[in-house]
Amino acid sequence: MTAVAEARRGELSALYRVRGWLRNPWARPRFLVLVTWSYVLWSLVPVLIAVQFSFNATRSRTEWAGFSARWYWGDPVDSVWHDPTLRHAAIQSLKLAGADVLIATPIGVLLAIGLARWTGWGSRPSNFLMLFPLVTPEIVMGVSLLLIFTQVFTFIGTGTIAQILGHVTFSISYVVVIVRGRLFSIGRQYEEAAADLGASPTVALTRVLLPLLTPAIVASAAVVFAISIDDFVISQWLSSGGATDTVPIRIYSATRAAPLPSTNAIATVMMLFTLLSLVLAFLAWRVFTRGERRARAGQTKDLAVFEL
Amino acid sequence: MTTTRGEIQLVELTKRFADVTAVDRIELEIPAGEFFSLLGPSGCGKTTTLRLIAGFEQPTEGQILLDGTDVAYTPPHRRSVNTVFQNYALFPHLNVFDNVAFGLRRAKRPKAEIKERVARALELVQLTGYERRKSSQLSGGQQQRVALARALILNPAVLLLDEPLGALDAKLRKALQLELKGLQQEVGITFLYVTHDQEEALTMSDRLAVMNAGRVEQVGAPQEVYEDPQTVFVADFLGASNLMDATATGAVDGACRVELDRFELRGSAGAADVTGAAKVVIRPERVELEPHGTPTGPNRLPGMVERVVYVGSAIQLIVRAATGDALQALVQNTGKGAPYEQGTPVQIHLPAEALRVLPAGEAESVEED
Repeated sequence: MTAVAEARRGELSALYRVRGWLRNPWARPRFLVLVTWSYVLWSLVPVLIAVQFSFNATRSRTEWAGFSARWYWGDPVDSVWHDPTLRHAAIQSLKLAGADVLIATPIGVLLAIGLARWTGWGSRPSNFLMLFPLVTPEIVMGVSLLLIFTQVFTFIGTGTIAQILGHVTFSISYVVVIVRGRLFSIGRQYEEAAADLGASPTVALTRVLLPLLTPAIVASAAVVFAISIDDFVISQWLSSGGATDTVPIRIYSATRAAPLPSTNAIATVMMLFTLLSLVLAFLAWRVFTRGERRARAGQTKDLAVFEL
Repeated sequence: MTTTRGEIQLVELTKRFADVTAVDRIELEIPAGEFFSLLGPSGCGKTTTLRLIAGFEQPTEGQILLDGTDVAYTPPHRRSVNTVFQNYALFPHLNVFDNVAFGLRRAKRPKAEIKERVARALELVQLTGYERRKSSQLSGGQQQRVALARALILNPAVLLLDEPLGALDAKLRKALQLELKGLQQEVGITFLYVTHDQEEALTMSDRLAVMNAGRVEQVGAPQEVYEDPQTVFVADFLGASNLMDATATGAVDGACRVELDRFELRGSAGAADVTGAAKVVIRPERVELEPHGTPTGPNRLPGMVERVVYVGSAIQLIVRAATGDALQALVQNTGKGAPYEQGTPVQIHLPAEALRVLPAGEAESVEED
């Protein structure tokens, strides 16, 4: 064999090795990892920068001048703590989100049970209709709600009540979708078992169904809280002026005027609230479904043993 | 507990869903204290029948008499029947004690009584000491026992069991079969057992009903149904059977004469007065093989061994008869190997007393699952 041929073979095998590396079906999915991390960075970096500038020592939102908490409470005029408009907006946002959770969750849960367990004429269209608020453009919903509250139910008008009603209207769908999914996955067998053991439908609901739905109820409450605190369009349409401005509205108008890092600060605070509610929901879900998840793991293990 | 509790009568019971009739005018009488099985392939209506008796479904027509009272329209929580579900349906948010106590608490029994009765029920199913466990911390067999204790603690007149052993592995199933049967004799109440496993039904039941397509095909003691199947379906579903198409030409000397191809056979097991299109049925263990060339006699066909299958306790021979039918013959494994090699010509003897002639009817094939 000549040296040339040998060199050629070396090149070939290098090529094969690269191709093999790319095509190896057992390798870790490198491309997917790359895409995933690019996306995470892409979506997180702007948020992190905004959070960073909420701690800026100067009034600039673009030039970093050192760490300070002045925009949270240090500044006697413009900090979140001392600026009455910002503080008021935060309270209004939390008020709306809290009321939304307290009203939309119970209604949504009952609606979900009704829709999941009712199999008669009209049940299918109603189930489908529940998706409507999820796909309706929010601006359309905002306009129609405004028209309703100012033209039809004029005794409501605009303001906090209208905002709460608006938030509840579109939040219920999220509760229904989440709880209904759980209802379908647990099936009817537990209710039947309860009835079999002498529980009336009401007792079966309170003693069996609601405890089993708890993780879904907690999760949907957290989602409702998060989307309500995040909402701009509906809060804005139904706002009756400065007193009912929420944080997103305040941030929006501040950004158009002379933005200060305090805007970033209040955004950060709101984000923390949202994160906290989601983390709580996740933890609750873990705690309440612990038994079930273990059972499922056990089942797969049993299966594995059986197959051996 | 009186022995007269737990008698079930189903009168013209029918359940129609949107486009299927799941249960079709069923008539059954189950005396108190009997271990009764509903046996059939999946989709035969056995589970729907059980759910009708439990009250989870409302009948379209007919009556469900429980000790003489029609309970067809009584809601499930007011019926004195309890159910052991196929996948147990133990409440995952409650521990063993609370699961078993659930029914007593609904009946508002005093605390001390609940404690005492739960302890006794758990003792009955040998689970004392497991009170604090969650159902997810139990094995399949243990969950099954909790489900039993939970249902039995209310002293039901009838216990309904929906394939309760279906999810367990073969060995545990065998052990629990015996245990369930023992338990039934101990508590003395009616057990209505739904299964698609014919062996389970045969070994445990006092009597059983074979169901097919929403109808009851045959009711009787296990031996009766196995030895004396009244329809082609029952013969085919219960145990392995050889089924051959034939033309029956009526009774001769107490036996039924049938023509298969150009051969004439006589069957004296079962009815003799069958005429017209018929099926000839014989169990594999009753088929006898004789060496090729032995003098012929009645009920004998020439054939050839097509396949020899080692089954363990027995050897199965698939024999192609001269009629074109493939027949199964089961030979006891005596340790000397197969009596005939593959490809050997043999003479097949189908003894008249083991040969049954059944009117063909609408013969559906049995779906195994």
